[in-house]
Amino acid sequence: MAATLPRPRARARWRTLVRTPGRAFGFAIIACFALMAIAGPYLYPANLPIDPDAIYAPPSLAHPLGTDFEGADVLALVVTGARYVLLSAVIAGALIVALGTATGVAAGYYRGPRDTALMRVTDFILTIPHFPLLIVLATVWNFGSPYAMGLVLGVFGWGAVARAVRAQTLSLRERGFLEAARGLGLPGRHVILRELLPNVAPFIAMSLLLSVTAAIYAQTGLFFLGVLPFNANNWGSCSTRRCSRRTR
Amino acid sequence: MRLARRLSARLLTGLVMIWVVASGTFFLVRLMPGDPVATAYEADIVHGMTPDQARAATALMYGFVPHQPLPQQYLAYMWQLAHFNLGQSITYEGVPVAHVIAAAAPWTIILVLSGILVSFAIGASVGVLAAIRRSTKLGDLLSVSGSVMHGIPQFIIAILLAYVFTTLWAVLPPLGAPYDITLPPGWNLPFIGSLVTHAILPVAAYALASYGGWLLTMKSSVVSVLGDDFILAAELRGLRPLTVARYVARNAMLPLFTILALTIGFMFGGAIFIEDIFNYPGLGDVLFASMGKRDYPLMTGTFLIITTAVILANIAADLLYGVIDPRVRRS
Repeated sequence: MAATLPRPRARARWRTLVRTPGRAFGFAIIACFALMAIAGPYLYPANLPIDPDAIYAPPSLAHPLGTDFEGADVLALVVTGARYVLLSAVIAGALIVALGTATGVAAGYYRGPRDTALMRVTDFILTIPHFPLLIVLATVWNFGSPYAMGLVLGVFGWGAVARAVRAQTLSLRERGFLEAARGLGLPGRHVILRELLPNVAPFIAMSLLLSVTAAIYAQTGLFFLGVLPFNANNWGSCSTRRCSRRTR
Repeated sequence: MRLARRLSARLLTGLVMIWVVASGTFFLVRLMPGDPVATAYEADIVHGMTPDQARAATALMYGFVPHQPLPQQYLAYMWQLAHFNLGQSITYEGVPVAHVIAAAAPWTIILVLSGILVSFAIGASVGVLAAIRRSTKLGDLLSVSGSVMHGIPQFIIAILLAYVFTTLWAVLPPLGAPYDITLPPGWNLPFIGSLVTHAILPVAAYALASYGGWLLTMKSSVVSVLGDDFILAAELRGLRPLTVARYVARNAMLPLFTILALTIGFMFGGAIFIEDIFNYPGLGDVLFASMGKRDYPLMTGTFLIITTAVILANIAADLLYGVIDPRVRRS
């Protein structure tokens, strides 16, 4: 029985995904973007071809989305730019969820002085205005690598998740099944990983999604302002140059 | 008495936070590649200053001198901060950083405060409508519009609005300055009028980008209040629908006020895009420009002021919430 369990589950999941058109559509969009990020850079040469005769060309068959200020194909820019943005957003999202969940569960489960100390740190992370902080950090750090970008966005973004996970942990730990688990003398590690976390999992999954979205906004915003390594091709820099306001 | 104790505890944590942020910015500038402070000092000597003069000039800008040991520099910097001295700007030669910030802050405050209030008013009232008509097409449409507008980045909305209303259909003044520069600034009608017409687009962009959040929060809040017993009781007593609606609105508003207070705190740093696109000389613009020109005293000073404002606003929000909702005080 245990060995056959995963198969029907996976099929059931696939069925729930496909049955509602909305879900299938959403899944298709995500798959399309993931494909763009993974395969996109291989589809085009490292230095995108530039056509000086077609600067700011309107959409045509050769350039479905037109061209930019130096005659590069906008569709190619969008496709190749996907990797940086999505990779760093996924890194940031994973970090936010990992740090936020660890802090929230530890604070809510152990309570007492540990809770107070962790919540002080959380409050601090929540209070610092993130966007100005990113601008200040960009003066010392060249965000040319998506890993650096994801790291910074993740390290300063986990406050809200920690707060919410702590609140959920606080209410869950008073429930009967957790009290029973503790009463049985199960080690804290088991109680947290096996009893507590599965109940917070849906919330964590949702905050992963929201964190990835927020990370995409934050970095495209940063790049839009012009705080960016010029060599990088990414969505934010596309929108800045599109406005042709800044040439840094 | 308890309020006083709570206030002092919150103020103490706030001070600790400000100290941590100030230390962070101090070490950030010191660790910067190329050591900007030493570079400034050497540049002064190259320009013909004596070492003493150069030392004094650097101390004026940054609050410390490059040749002292690090702990001593740190103490000197903190000593200056404790006297509310943020140093001098490099780009605006000889102007204290505090003056640059004081000149920029009103733009940010006026712009973002009106943006927040407009989006709050729209979001909260449409949210009530969406909650009452939640099972009809109109309710769905309103909720979806909120989610969609919430999903579009602020700067995209701002650019589209600017394009449509200043280029495509030029009914509003062009971007470039927050007022008509041909008019003499002052308390006269044409000048204030031009301030208002120039502010329409940025405020609209801010409101459009953020009303969705208010709408969805208000809707869920109203829906949960609608199911409460006291609403049923009010309806059974035969009170007029308007009176019942007032009961609902007052109780549904509470969670929104906390968020409103917090949002007002974050407004000092939250308008960089709008200021950038519509050329408002606000705090975000100062921060961004100082970064581009490598004006470190101005940059750290602005960041410190923005953070301090957010911390103070959070404390105020926390205390205010206790005043608005008596249940918080008792628990």
